[in-house]
Amino acid sequence: MGQVLINALVNAALIGPPAVAFSMLFGILRFPNFAIGGYITVGAFAVFAFNVTLGLPLVLATLLGMAVTGALVWLSDEIVFKPMREHSPITLLIVSIALTLILEQGVRLFWGADVRGFDLPLTRPMKFAGMRITVEQVWIIGLALAVASLTHAILRYTRIGKAMRATSDNFMLAQVRGINTGRVIAFTWLYCGALFGLTGTLGGLDLVIEPLLGWNLTIPIFAAAILGGIGSAYGAMLGALLVGIAEELTVLVLPSTYKVGVGFIIIALLLLLRPQGLFGEAQIKK
Amino acid sequence: MNKLITRRRALQGTAAAFAATAIAPKLVLGADPINVGSLTPNTGGGGPFGPNIAAAHRRVVEEVNAAGGVLGREVQLTQENSETNPETAVRAADKLINVNQVIGILGTWSSSVTLGIMPKCQEAGVIQMCTSSSADIPAKDEKGLVFNFQALSPVWGDAIADLALRRGFKTFSLMALNNDFTGSMIDAFAAKVKAKGAQVINEPFFYNGGQSSYRTEVEQLIAGDPEAVFIPAYVTDFTAVYKEIFRSGYEGQVISVSIATGDKFKEAVGEAANGLLHGVPVPPIGSKAYAMYLQEAGLEDTGEVQHPFGTAGRDQMSSLLLAVEKAGSTDTAKVAKAIWEVTTGPGKKEVFSVLEGLEAIRAGEEINYSGASSSVEFDNEGMVLGRDFQLTEVQDGKDVVVERLEFKG
Repeated sequence: MGQVLINALVNAALIGPPAVAFSMLFGILRFPNFAIGGYITVGAFAVFAFNVTLGLPLVLATLLGMAVTGALVWLSDEIVFKPMREHSPITLLIVSIALTLILEQGVRLFWGADVRGFDLPLTRPMKFAGMRITVEQVWIIGLALAVASLTHAILRYTRIGKAMRATSDNFMLAQVRGINTGRVIAFTWLYCGALFGLTGTLGGLDLVIEPLLGWNLTIPIFAAAILGGIGSAYGAMLGALLVGIAEELTVLVLPSTYKVGVGFIIIALLLLLRPQGLFGEAQIKK
Repeated sequence: MNKLITRRRALQGTAAAFAATAIAPKLVLGADPINVGSLTPNTGGGGPFGPNIAAAHRRVVEEVNAAGGVLGREVQLTQENSETNPETAVRAADKLINVNQVIGILGTWSSSVTLGIMPKCQEAGVIQMCTSSSADIPAKDEKGLVFNFQALSPVWGDAIADLALRRGFKTFSLMALNNDFTGSMIDAFAAKVKAKGAQVINEPFFYNGGQSSYRTEVEQLIAGDPEAVFIPAYVTDFTAVYKEIFRSGYEGQVISVSIATGDKFKEAVGEAANGLLHGVPVPPIGSKAYAMYLQEAGLEDTGEVQHPFGTAGRDQMSSLLLAVEKAGSTDTAKVAKAIWEVTTGPGKKEVFSVLEGLEAIRAGEEINYSGASSSVEFDNEGMVLGRDFQLTEVQDGKDVVVERLEFKG
């Protein structure tokens, strides 16, 4: 049972940060951005290029990869989403699906569909009380906690964070009160882009670097964000943990082939029972 | 549309025909060519193998044409790339059947491509020759026109289990990627293990590719600490699963199939790959036809397996053309019947190349073609009866052969 919990924690740490980013983007821009799969894949390959092709240490490569992904994600807003700001969320959702396909195929064009790994030897686990965990898994969990704390601190204590919360609460009112919403949106894209870049590294470490890496993580990320209450960064972290546990426990009672359905079942149940998620607030429709 | 034949054109044609006969004395003047299609995975998942198959097809055709063709007619080869993609393959097969009017489509590799083009081939009465392992292939071939030069996946499971048992393992756990190729493989593996008195200690199960984690699956697999685990899979999911097994601290033996453990896998997991065992059907190293293949392809004999699928390409084209000569016609039902006659059965003259075979058939002899990929004996469903298998261990990042199982026909 202890091992199940550790496994669930690692799963949660992997999908937590991108779920937070997905949730923040939704909070401010009000549409579900399916391009996150493409962003994560680009992040993984950017880090791979710095780490393996150019031979930089993984930590430096990750930071550079996060910068590249942040810039790309911001650029995707400037080029694709900004001109479409007035369109309905459904239109933007479809555009984001197109964007993820373009990003993924772009990666295929340069790197092909082969599997790759970072320049970091695999390690055997540390054992204690019949449970196992590896150094990289400790890193994944630690980084997820750091991201959660950092996001919390930014939203709570910084000027830009307060502006983000205001914009998320009421876009028009924030604009009227003199908040530079353009800057808030640009910062959100950059910050979330960096988180997708980080997920590229962590996903590449845990699974394998290939063009579908981001896509494979997309449904659990959605489930975590919706479970936590879409638009709520804290909720997304808890949502990730619950999705992680649910996926681990499912396999104890159902054949493994049904595991990919767990995310969908969580999404369906929540939309039926508590559409605002665990921490989200019900929106008043005018 | 009527073709207007002028005197000048007739003269040109005659001159060209004479020129041709000077090189290839047996080609019959004015006879239609025999059209054959080659549809190989030159890019995509089969990309490492397709070009070898295509080149082998071409070499056999060139050799036969240079020696006067088949039934005195030139063999015209049209080659297409399937991109290892069933949709592309169906379009290419359409063209080969309707525009090029081929009698056979040779060289399909993945089961999805072979099965994808099968309805069109069956409808048009076109022969298929492939290297695919799905057990659906004989089941869907209603007209007896499909010949498979690769062992079906249950045969893989059986042979790899046999090789693993020779390494002395007594307890196994099994899981497989959830698809047709790997699914029927673990059933056969489990049956063989049990028949030889060893144990399968878990309830063998399937997982899906593209998961966000494989931790629980690995937990289930290694519970009970089996001496060895067998995981037939494809490279993408196997790489993620193998990393997880290594991180779980499992000290037993991991066994998989060689198509999942190529160079890209070894690069991705690095030194952790050492010690992994993987099995695959291989050409009969040391056989006469395999030596001839190496020479034709301009390869050195290293004593190791080279071009596992290119060798099958040579055997496909050779057996088809021998069968046309034997049948005395390009009627595909007759040719299909003749494929068994020239490849299978005892008491015939054994031949190792298409030219040797053509000569023997013309001399009125019964032949049995023995190939570079296997001895090429078919069961009554057109599936190759047996292949040599080999078990390889990764040592210092390189493949080292540790066991070989030879098929005795």
